[in-house]
Amino acid sequence: MLLDFEKLGGLRAFLIGLTVLVCLFLVLPIIFIAALSFGSSQWLIFPPPSWTFKWYQELFADPRWLYSALTSLKIAAIVTVLSVVIGFLAALGLNRGTFVGREALRALFLTPMILPVVVLAVALYALFLKLGLAGTTLGFIIAHLLIALPFSIISIGNALEGFDKSVEDAAVLCGASPWEARVRVTVPAVSHGIFAAAVFSFLASWDEVVLAIFMASPTLQTLPVKIWATLRQDLTPVIAAASTLLIAFTIVLMVLASLLRKGQKS
Amino acid sequence: MTEPFLSIRGIRKEFGSFTAVKDVTMNVAKGEFMTFLGPSGSGKSTTLYILAGFQDPTDGDILVNGKSLLSTPSHQRNIGMVFQRYTLFPHLSVGENVAFPLRIRRRPQAEIAERVKAALKLVRLDGFEDRKPALMSGGQQQRVALARALVYNPPVLLMDEPLSALDKKLREEIQFEIRRIHQETGVTILYVTHDQEEALRLSDRIAVFSQGEIDQIGTGQELYANPATHFVAGFIGDSNFIETEILSSEGGEARLALPGGTVVDGVPMHGGKPAGKKASLLLRPERLSLSQVPVDKGLSVTINDITFLGNNIEVATQTNSGDCLSVRLPFGHQAISQLTRGDRAWLSFDTRSTHAFA
Repeated sequence: MLLDFEKLGGLRAFLIGLTVLVCLFLVLPIIFIAALSFGSSQWLIFPPPSWTFKWYQELFADPRWLYSALTSLKIAAIVTVLSVVIGFLAALGLNRGTFVGREALRALFLTPMILPVVVLAVALYALFLKLGLAGTTLGFIIAHLLIALPFSIISIGNALEGFDKSVEDAAVLCGASPWEARVRVTVPAVSHGIFAAAVFSFLASWDEVVLAIFMASPTLQTLPVKIWATLRQDLTPVIAAASTLLIAFTIVLMVLASLLRKGQKS
Repeated sequence: MTEPFLSIRGIRKEFGSFTAVKDVTMNVAKGEFMTFLGPSGSGKSTTLYILAGFQDPTDGDILVNGKSLLSTPSHQRNIGMVFQRYTLFPHLSVGENVAFPLRIRRRPQAEIAERVKAALKLVRLDGFEDRKPALMSGGQQQRVALARALVYNPPVLLMDEPLSALDKKLREEIQFEIRRIHQETGVTILYVTHDQEEALRLSDRIAVFSQGEIDQIGTGQELYANPATHFVAGFIGDSNFIETEILSSEGGEARLALPGGTVVDGVPMHGGKPAGKKASLLLRPERLSLSQVPVDKGLSVTINDITFLGNNIEVATQTNSGDCLSVRLPFGHQAISQLTRGDRAWLSFDTRSTHAFA
């Protein structure tokens, strides 16, 4: 190896120190939030004078929090399913198609990743007002689908790139109709890409706040919107509790995902 | 004459302005092993893909038992195929791979189990049912693919260079297996390869493809002993060609002037060019005799190199006019022990064993 860690000498201590700092930078805010959510101080004093479950009790006592969490979950789940299905079909077309303008279409599908989210949000809001979709679940789903799709197309597209179409052809000659072959052979063969697409799509919707603020109505709010709205009214440790649960759920999801993937491989 | 089992009639395939297959016509008998032999880009694989239904011909028809196959989609053609690349389904075990065509056909479980077992036994992989394809060698994977293609008893099996990814020794081993399986099952096989040795080893008949057309169809012996074109002569077996002038040509036989003035008579002539034109004369290395003394109608040559190849000896010679001819002599041939590099010698041949192409 050109860069052998063992032979770096004095630089080693520096690198270790830098790594620790970066990790702290990434993890400390989470630890802070978690600590504050269990702290007794109303004013988010750190370190907390004493520990309490008070804020969690308050959180669960207010049905609006639970309701917004369920809204988030529902939207994220629907977005995930749609994103994976549409992403698979789009990636298949972009991968196999020989039509004119294929590269332009691929670029178009990926623009939501490059476009500033605020720009996208304002544009969608103006359009949805006209169509009567603003403040509806459908509007939410369409908006989040837009930013989730590029993740699906990229990860499923990469998986298809590494999949030999002859395998699908073989299934067709074995008697499977083209769509039967895709469902029974191609989909399982690119399952790692589909899995990654599902995880990224879910997270893209689950913790998305900018589009959600524009799409939300007083009665339809996702968890990040609820956190944001509450934050603007008053700074209460309940927000820290909600955030901690949001982060915990995301961490559990990631751990489950990686465990599932490990199980698939072996 | 009875209806041929499989009949390919005037197949033509154009990709834009490029014509991959010009005009392919042939009949294949039931149970026959027919090989499409040719260099890459000669249209042999395209013809096979048209049979499989992956491509539609621009023109022509394919009949099986007198009925056109073209309107039937690939998955209803009931054709088996083994591909050049490994095409086992990666998420399924070997047993499930072989069972796949039967599951698609919704056969009862007991029948599936029995036929999968028989198919794996046929390719000598009994007991591998639970293995994942990724854990098998290339040769084993292709044998599983063969079992999968045969398990539903298709009347026709297509094979598209199935052994080209394997090393030579393994290739020969599986060629032997394919022959045995062909004899045991009696399935009609259409086999694509660019390897003449493989074609000769396996086939009942060989169709030699060149530039989108079939130059000749025949048994390996026919192609070797009586090639119809310059291309076939060069592709099957080893060959020397020298440029000659046609002195006269009549009734399929020609009188030719070799460079250096030697005139040979009664050479089987292919192609209808008149006297005065050039013709290539095919001289097989193993049909040439070498002599230390001048012979009548012989070619005077200089010996450039002598190579010992085990069961025979290859002698590289050069004529006075500069043509390089290789001669293959059996081990222990008299003349060779006394000859060394740079010596003069004379080549002679039976004109009946040669062919001229113009």
